[in-house]
Amino acid sequence: MSDAKAVADRLVKSKRLNALLTPSKELRSALTAQAAAARPTGVLYGMPVAVKDNICTLEFTTTCGSRILEGYRSPYEATAVTKLKAAGALIAGKTNCDEFAMGSSTEHSAYGRVVHPLDKTRVPGGSSGGSAALVGAGALPAALGSETGGSVRQPASFCGVVGIKPTYGRVSRYGLVAFGSSLDQIGVLGRSVHDAARVLSVISGRDPRDATCEDRDPLRLPTVPESLQGFVIGLPREYFPAELDPAVRRACDRAVRLLRDLGAAVREVSLPHTAYAVPTYYVIAPAEASSNLARYDGVRYGPRFDGHADLRGLYRATRGQGFGAEVRRRILVGTYVLSAGFYDAYYRRAQQMRALIAQDFRNVFDRGVDLLFTPTTPSPAFKAGEKLSDPIAMYMSDIFTVTANLAGVPAISLPIGRVKGLPIGGQLIGQAFLEDEMLEAAYALERVVPATDEA
Amino acid sequence: MSVSRDDVLRIAQLAELDVEEDALPDVAEQMSRILDYVAQLSAMPASTNGTVKTFVPGPDAIRFRPDEVAPWPLAFGPAAFAPAFKEGFFVVPKLGQFE
Amino acid sequence: MAAGWETVIGLETHVQLRTKSKMFCGCSTAFGAPPNTQVCPVCLGLPGALPVPNGAAIRLAVRGALSLGCTVHPKSIFARKNYFYPDLPKGYQISQHDQPLATNGTLSFVSPERGIVNATIVRLHVEEDAGKSIHDRFPKATAVDLNRSGVPLIEIVGGSARVPTDAQAAARVHRHLRLRHGEGQSARRRQRVGAAGGCHGPQHAD
Repeated sequence: MSDAKAVADRLVKSKRLNALLTPSKELRSALTAQAAAARPTGVLYGMPVAVKDNICTLEFTTTCGSRILEGYRSPYEATAVTKLKAAGALIAGKTNCDEFAMGSSTEHSAYGRVVHPLDKTRVPGGSSGGSAALVGAGALPAALGSETGGSVRQPASFCGVVGIKPTYGRVSRYGLVAFGSSLDQIGVLGRSVHDAARVLSVISGRDPRDATCEDRDPLRLPTVPESLQGFVIGLPREYFPAELDPAVRRACDRAVRLLRDLGAAVREVSLPHTAYAVPTYYVIAPAEASSNLARYDGVRYGPRFDGHADLRGLYRATRGQGFGAEVRRRILVGTYVLSAGFYDAYYRRAQQMRALIAQDFRNVFDRGVDLLFTPTTPSPAFKAGEKLSDPIAMYMSDIFTVTANLAGVPAISLPIGRVKGLPIGGQLIGQAFLEDEMLEAAYALERVVPATDEA
Repeated sequence: MSVSRDDVLRIAQLAELDVEEDALPDVAEQMSRILDYVAQLSAMPASTNGTVKTFVPGPDAIRFRPDEVAPWPLAFGPAAFAPAFKEGFFVVPKLGQFE
Repeated sequence: MAAGWETVIGLETHVQLRTKSKMFCGCSTAFGAPPNTQVCPVCLGLPGALPVPNGAAIRLAVRGALSLGCTVHPKSIFARKNYFYPDLPKGYQISQHDQPLATNGTLSFVSPERGIVNATIVRLHVEEDAGKSIHDRFPKATAVDLNRSGVPLIEIVGGSARVPTDAQAAARVHRHLRLRHGEGQSARRRQRVGAAGGCHGPQHAD
């Protein structure tokens, strides 16, 4: 059971990361109150868990890293948060993120960028950069993040922590501020597979408030296996291109050797439509976002911005000034691809491609493969400012992660080594609703992989 | 696929977003680059038989809710979070005279 | 009116389905409550809220479709109609576009001009209502009440009525459709001539 004061002290000490949006005073009093009220019988009793700021909480504000929700106090909380509290966890503040979860570096927050826990000149990844940085700095055992295109796994890889994206429909989205409704899932960052998986288990399960959440019991956690005998692990060749960073490749090769040593059968497979995944994602996600963000109009919540002589003026001033450049860009692209004359050329094509990408996974899993292993990111954490001028360069950091969101399958990133002192993650991709198999392999690999050794 | 200044204005209007005059060329250029990039999807042949096979994850059929008056809870009402609220109503400026 | 031109009025009728709760949330649909008191995160369009469809509303809509002789489709899809208006809290209306609940029915009525008319019903689909905008309560401002936001509706798109009196006769028949959940206050109807536009939206349940 964590002492509320000790937890608060550790979080306040990591202020330099700019990872936490909750002011220290409010955090301390909230933690003290929660610690007093927490149920001792809960499986997460006393565990402090921070929550990404695009997930609604009754404690603290919910800004989604945006000016358009500055100071907004949600009158309801996300189901995942309710479940955490029912299990005795302490909600340890709200974490900084790319605005409305749009970004891969947490440089697109209206509240300043988040700093990498090991190198202050670098980004922690995004959009769940605040959550990843806090866990990576040892300030917390776990934090909630969200995934739309890799926003939990990519920062997990950069910050040297575990990041899990569940199957779409495993965790309720009620209270997760929508970005791409057919892609979004709440995910977990944790200092170990066990910490992340425990939290995932608690927040998973049926919810009548989310019609896309499957009617299933919460995830049952597997035990740590003795060996991976009987597991067939596929290495999709499209994720190991010739131009892959040699150090990243070395780290992956080492992890694959360890998987073989553990008894798994490893074979090369192909996911032929992988090259189309990033463009497909960057049609579907902005399209859905343009619709999901239409509700931010200054009418019912959030601040109002100057310049509203009439209704249209209110809308345009609020949205023009309240949204940052990346969000505005995606809304414009999304509106464009959905508009008359372009719907078939872009959106419909992307939906068809998505079906082919999902079919690629089914084909591989139907042929006796249990899991896939790939690098999580093509490189370790890049420098702040490095990719800001070119949106496409930024989008390419999602190249190995977006496929799992498009196909709706679960995936986990765990640290597998260091590249010039910076952490790098390896990813296991599992079959829909078979997180337990994925976690078994992750547990086994975690025990043997030298995560802090140079590749 | 070149996005013009006028295209940006038209789309911005649809999205009710102000784009500053001097930002227009940059926004147009960035949008063009992004749309050029995603246009590689058209390399894929179009579905010829008219039926588009698409995929969305999640349950196959929607699960319904029983017809009961049981709203999901609100810890406090709109008066507490609305930017402008009077006599129980949300208040907004009127639509302009000459739209 | 110039010779050779015929007035064709497309009929679009919205009928409220008499359910106890709204289309996508558990708020009451009871009429006459003080403004913004029958609201919740869903029908307020709060960040993070999600729609969950009302099964009884679908059953009533199917009944209405069958009574009009429509073909009811086992699979239909909810789609979003995106536009901005203060009484439309999400910035989109959940409606049905490409695959509606029902198509191809017949509405038979007696026209004062033409005798018995068997007008085609092109389609019948399910959607949610918007809230209410009141323009004369405050000076230079619009007052918005979201109690009505999310109330279940069916939209019946009828064949063209050739003259205005046909439209009235058709409307009278609509009124007799047994779409009421129980007896009592009659279902509210609103008729609109013409068709609504709007961009396509992503086809997803929410």
